Parts: sequence; structure tokens; C-alpha cells
Amino acid sequence: MTISEDLRIGVYVCSCGSNIGGVIDPAEVADYARTLPGVVWARTNLYMCGDPGQNAIRQDIIEHRLNRVVVAACSVRMHEPTFRACVAEAGMNPFLMEMVNIREQDTWVHGHEPERALIKAREMIAAGVAKVAYSQPLTPITVPVTKTAMVIGGGVAGISAALDLGDMGIHTYLVEREQSIGGTMAQLNKTFPTMDCSI
Amino acid sequence: MVDAARHPKVEILSYSEVERVDGYIGNFLVGVAQKPRYVIADQCTGCGDCARVCPIEIPNAFEMGLAPRKAIDVPHGQAVPLVYTIDMDHCIQCFKCVTACGHRDAIDFSQEAQYSELDVGAIIVATGFESFDPTVIPEYGYGVYPNVITAMELERLDNSAGPTVGRLVRPSDGREPASMAIIQCVGSRDKRYNEYCSGFCCMYAIKNAILMKQMIPSMEISIFYMDIRTPSKGYEEFYNQARKMGIRFIHGRPSQITQDPVTHNLFVEAEDQELGQVLELETDLVVLSAAAIPRADAADVSTKLTLSRSPGGFFMEYHPKLRPVDSPTDGIFLAGAAQGPKDIPASVSQGSAAAARAARVLSSDTWEIEPIIASVDPDVCVSAKGIKCGLCVPACPYGAISCVTGEAAHVTSAKCHGCGGCVAECPHSAISQHHFTDVQIVAQLRELLRDNPEEKILAFMCHWCSSAGADMAGTSHFEYPADSRGIRVMCSARMDQDFVLEAFRRGAGMVLLSGCHPQDCHYITGQQVAAKRFDRLQDQIQRLGISPERFRIEWISAAEGEKYARVITEMSETLKGLDREQILSENRGARDAIERRLRRWKASPQMAELMAVGADELPGGEELDR
Repeated sequence: MTISEDLRIGVYVCSCGSNIGGVIDPAEVADYARTLPGVVWARTNLYMCGDPGQNAIRQDIIEHRLNRVVVAACSVRMHEPTFRACVAEAGMNPFLMEMVNIREQDTWVHGHEPERALIKAREMIAAGVAKVAYSQPLTPITVPVTKTAMVIGGGVAGISAALDLGDMGIHTYLVEREQSIGGTMAQLNKTFPTMDCSI
Repeated sequence: MVDAARHPKVEILSYSEVERVDGYIGNFLVGVAQKPRYVIADQCTGCGDCARVCPIEIPNAFEMGLAPRKAIDVPHGQAVPLVYTIDMDHCIQCFKCVTACGHRDAIDFSQEAQYSELDVGAIIVATGFESFDPTVIPEYGYGVYPNVITAMELERLDNSAGPTVGRLVRPSDGREPASMAIIQCVGSRDKRYNEYCSGFCCMYAIKNAILMKQMIPSMEISIFYMDIRTPSKGYEEFYNQARKMGIRFIHGRPSQITQDPVTHNLFVEAEDQELGQVLELETDLVVLSAAAIPRADAADVSTKLTLSRSPGGFFMEYHPKLRPVDSPTDGIFLAGAAQGPKDIPASVSQGSAAAARAARVLSSDTWEIEPIIASVDPDVCVSAKGIKCGLCVPACPYGAISCVTGEAAHVTSAKCHGCGGCVAECPHSAISQHHFTDVQIVAQLRELLRDNPEEKILAFMCHWCSSAGADMAGTSHFEYPADSRGIRVMCSARMDQDFVLEAFRRGAGMVLLSGCHPQDCHYITGQQVAAKRFDRLQDQIQRLGISPERFRIEWISAAEGEKYARVITEMSETLKGLDREQILSENRGARDAIERRLRRWKASPQMAELMAVGADELPGGEELDR
């Protein structure tokens, strides 16, 4: 692969306590990452998402003039917003950060074969580095917000939500399929633990 | 209930159903159909004169069918709104109600369904649960023995506003029962029906036992349980109170209930696990604590709102710990038992939590959404050159693409949800999806298959379901062999046939194409587009001389961690059963044809570079060098 000379990728390998570090050695993974094209910096941390981990990323971006970041840690569902915000604070476009899931999709499912889990982590990171090399800065799309809400279902949860939204001054439609609201709750006699009437 | 009706900011749309939901966070357009009541709400005073003269009686669902209602009626006296409704399925149109209503003139037989479209910024789904129907459990005799009832029926029988004005009677003879047995976990914690714990049944059973004991102190009450679960604040004390009151707790799930044909008394057979003894208890009344189950139309609601469902069928939260009231769709939140069985305190809490999450959006003037949308390169789009194409238009589930011959296709950014379906559909590589470009995907693929590709399973996963399913396998620690390498895109519709072919060109041992089940697709019809596309590819792969078992298509939901682990394990076993030389030779054989097909990619210099470099490492590379 030919990568532009300008690429300066930092790779961050999280240990996640023993969740990742108990199966593979993050330092070994980081050593490998340093050999990848475009990677100029790599480090590990016990908890990359913690303050010390995030601070390290932010400092490195500035100190090592990083223009791409790969965080090898957990699922995007868990911490993509965290690390996007982290790199943005250091002035990097958040879409130049790529996460590689070496926890849910590696160490948590391959604990029985740690050597192969290590190989998988290395290859996953190589793929993340390859992808981020082609990432482009993106600007979020700003959309207007209609300041009304809809609650579907007029049982106890829906009524509770609608009243709270209403109290916040938000016009709320409470949609109920039946002829009257109240749901299952309205059918109940006295309810625990207070033993008072449910209506 | 009354507070909601009085609140100036809450507008109750009762007897109404959500028909469709369009749009995105901050900008939803919801179509709501209001069913006709045949009564003008503003003119109905709730006096009930109409119901008194109505000659038709039908079972009242609110009273669990234990009491009648009229063809024009309200479900119960405290109904909010207190507006009468005619049940047209049973009304004989005698018009006695019209006469009784008189000058109020509230009855209107010509009323029709009203459809309205409402603009809202956020939606909370609080559609609740329904009760498991115990008739399917043959050994308990519900529906056969009159004195076997459900807890919901008991709620109405001991309710002072209920059909017996709060006097508990046996259905068989109207006599006050001297004894009662309550059976727990009916339809829950039972692999035949639902594996999950229904959560609040222990507490309502104890509540019912205490209420009955207070009402009829001499009543002998036994509760048959598997485990008593009273984890919330004050609940264990409540349980202890019941024991002090003399309510008998028997540790065992009854195996059978039989009936005395003369007295209609019941015999409950169970093993008391504490004593290690089989017992047979004669009782006047049996109350089944039926499980909470998802609403029958949960799948339909899920599709309308692009939600996901957990293994038990309840709506699934975005993240079980960190985002427990968010749905997978931004701007849509979950509250109450629709998300999982919940008691009243938990439902109220979650209602408030969902309101706060929704207010987080609604208190802002604008909201930022991810710019992972599609865009057309007008220099490449053949439509701009006057060629009739437009293949991208039907690939978009949101109608975001317009294409007029002579002009390049155009994507309306605000309408694009970023599935990438159009990108994969375009035969000329003229459309690209930000953050999931062809170049990025092929670059990943190349790295993942750099070493020993023939020993690997390359897995294409969609963000919302199959990759979430793989995450779920991780969270659940379901182990599987470390042979797979994943590439995540937003939707299976983004997956190009050529990605699969490129994987084989790179020498992959196996390829898995995975996405949502059709009803779970986050992009309405994205999965269906992908399913068709890859069904076609199966034939092509065979024609290329690649064994069909080396390419597998699986739809895996976000909840199916077990399935993800199983699929990879099975594929790994299949791969190990294949002859390595055969894989290499198949890949060699297919390579030239795939190369020819992927020629279009080479129009992009970056793609050409990615494909060319390392060609000598590819199977058959030595022939290419010649």
C-alpha cells in the first residue's frame, strides 16, 4: 500500500483492566502497530476511556502532530462517542478516529486460544489503520428540532413520561389505542408496596 | 390519568393508532388514525343515559370478560376520557341511544376514521405488555376448570369497582372461597413458553395473598413458587409480612391440577422441595400468575419505528447498561413494560427517564446527525452523460435520490439515512458513502486477508444487528474459534457483491454475509435489497467454481449472540473439513473471472493501487506475473 507521506497515525491499545489485557498483551499489540504503514505512535493504557487514557491521546495528537487515531478497545456502541469527543478536543476531526473492537469481538470470545486472539487483534488493528488512512474529515449535519413529543401508549409509563414532558413545557401527544388511557394499571386493584388504589 | 387529561401541554389522542412514522430525530412525521367512536367527544357528557337504554350486552374486556358492557359504553366508570363509544361489531342500530341522548346530540353514526399527520421531535414508545394465555398449559386446566383463574381476573373480582363490587366469589358457584392456591411462573421461567423471569409476579402474588387474607382472615392461602424474587426496596419486608400473616409458601412448581367434578374443588399436585415430599392440596380456587409477554403486535410496531427486539420479544434498548431507555433509532425512546416486564414503580421511573432523554433533544434548537450519508460523483454518474440508468433510485428506502436522464443523480442529504444501499447498487461506482467508502472497505479486507487467507472466514456485518449480535456474543462470553475477521458497515444493503468476490480473489477460505432479520432492518427495506442481491450471487459463485458452502448468508439480530457464535463455529468446522489444496485451486480458478469483473474498480486510482499491490501474494499470482 502506498500511503501519502503526510499520514501520522496514532494507535491506542486498551487493556480494559483484564478484559483485554488478561487474554493478550496490549504492549505486544502496540509494538506491532508501530510497524504498520503510516503509524508514527502507539501506546497502551489500562483504561483508555479513563481520564489518563484520554489525556494521553489528546497530548499525543498535539505533541506528535497526529492526524489520524485508531483506538483498539471495545465496541463502537460503547465508546465511539467518547473517543470522537476526545480527539475533537485536541482539534482533530472526530471522523478521523477509528475504533477497533478487540474486546467483544476478540478477547471476550477467544479467551480459550489467546495466541490466536493476539494474531486476530493485530490483524484487526492493521485493518483499522488501513481504513483510517482513507478517512476524510466530515462535518456533522445540523437539523432543526420540532419541539413537540409523542408518547405511544397511555399506560402508567406513558402517562408518567407525558406528564414530565408537559411539565417541561413540551407539547406532548399521548396516543392510546384503547378508548381510555390507563392501560393495565387501571385494571388493577390496590397495588404494592403501598397497597393504595392504582387509579 | 386525570392529571394527564387536565394538563394543558398534554394532548390525549385516545382510540387512535400510529399508522406510520417517517423522518428522523427532531423531525418525525407520524401518521395517526383515530378510530370512529360514533359519539362526538365534545358533546358527550359521560352521563351514561345511552348505555342504560342499549339492549345489547357483550363481554367487557376491561373486566376480563367477567362482566358485560353495552354496545355503547365506556370501559369503566373512571375512564379518561369519559366518552362513550359504540362497538359497531355488535350494535344493531336500534337508535335507542340517539333518543336517550336527546338534545345533547352526541351520537353520530356517520363518523369516520380521522387520519392526521403530526410533526414531533421525539417519540417515546410505551406500548406495555399483555398477559400470557395459560390455556396452552394443559396440566393447569385453565379454560376447562371454572375455578382456575388468572391473577388479572382476580384483580377484577376483588376490585370494589369490579363486577362483584369487591366480593371474591368462585366462578363455578358464586360462593366465597375458603381456600386459594396461587401458582407462580405460569408461562415464564418455562422453556416451553418463555425462558425469562416475568419480574413482578412474585410481588403481585404476595399482594393478592395479603389483600385476600385481610378481606377473609380465615382463608387458607398457599403460594406455589420456584423462587421468591423480591429485590426492590421494601419488597422483602412485604414478603415477610405475608409469611407472618400465615400465608403458606410452598417451594415447588405444580405438575398437575385436577378437579372434583361435583364440587369443582381443585387438587394441586406438586413436590414440596423443602420437605422432599409430593403433596396434593385441595383448594377452592386456583390463581395463575401469568407471565407478562410482549404485545401481539410488537413485531409490527418494531417495523414501523425501526426498533429491535430482545430474545423474549420485548423492545431492545440501545445499550443494556449505559443507554437503557434509548432505542436503536435516534430520537425514539422506550418506557415501561414494552422494554421488558416491569412493575409500577419501575415503569414510572422509566417513563420519567425517557421523558428526560427526549427533553435532551427537544430542549435544543438543532441537533447534529452523523454525516455518513451518500453522495454522487457527477463526473462518473452515467445519467449525467444522457444514459438512462436510475438504478440507485429504487435502492433508497427513503426516496432521497432523484435521477433525471441528462443530469447526475442527486441525493437529498436531509433525507438520506446513511444505509449505503444505493452505493452498492450503482454499477458505475458513482456513489460513495462517507466513512464507509469502497476504498476503506477494500483496504480493510486486504489487511484482514493478508496472511493465510485460506484459513479465514471474512464476515461482513451490519452495524445494527449482526455486528451488535457479535458484540452480544462477546458480552455473553460465548466462545467461538478465532478464525473470523469482521468488516462492519451500516446496513447489509451497503455490502457489494464485489466485496465478496474480492475476498475470494484475495484467497479467503470462507465468506459470511450477515445482517438484520427483515423485520429488524434499521433502514426499512435495506436487508431485503441485500437478500436479493446475495441470493443472485450464490449462483454466480458456483459458476466461478467456488464451493457453495464457502459462502454463507445469515440474518442475525442484535440479541442473537448465541447465533453469531454458532454460525462462526459451524463455518469454522466446515472450513476445517475442506481440503486446503482444493480451496487454493478454486480461488486460483476463479481469479481471472473476478479480475475481469472488478475492472470497473480500477477506474479509481486508489482502488487500482489497493488491488494491484501484493498481487504476487495472491493465489494464481505467479500465473499473472508470467
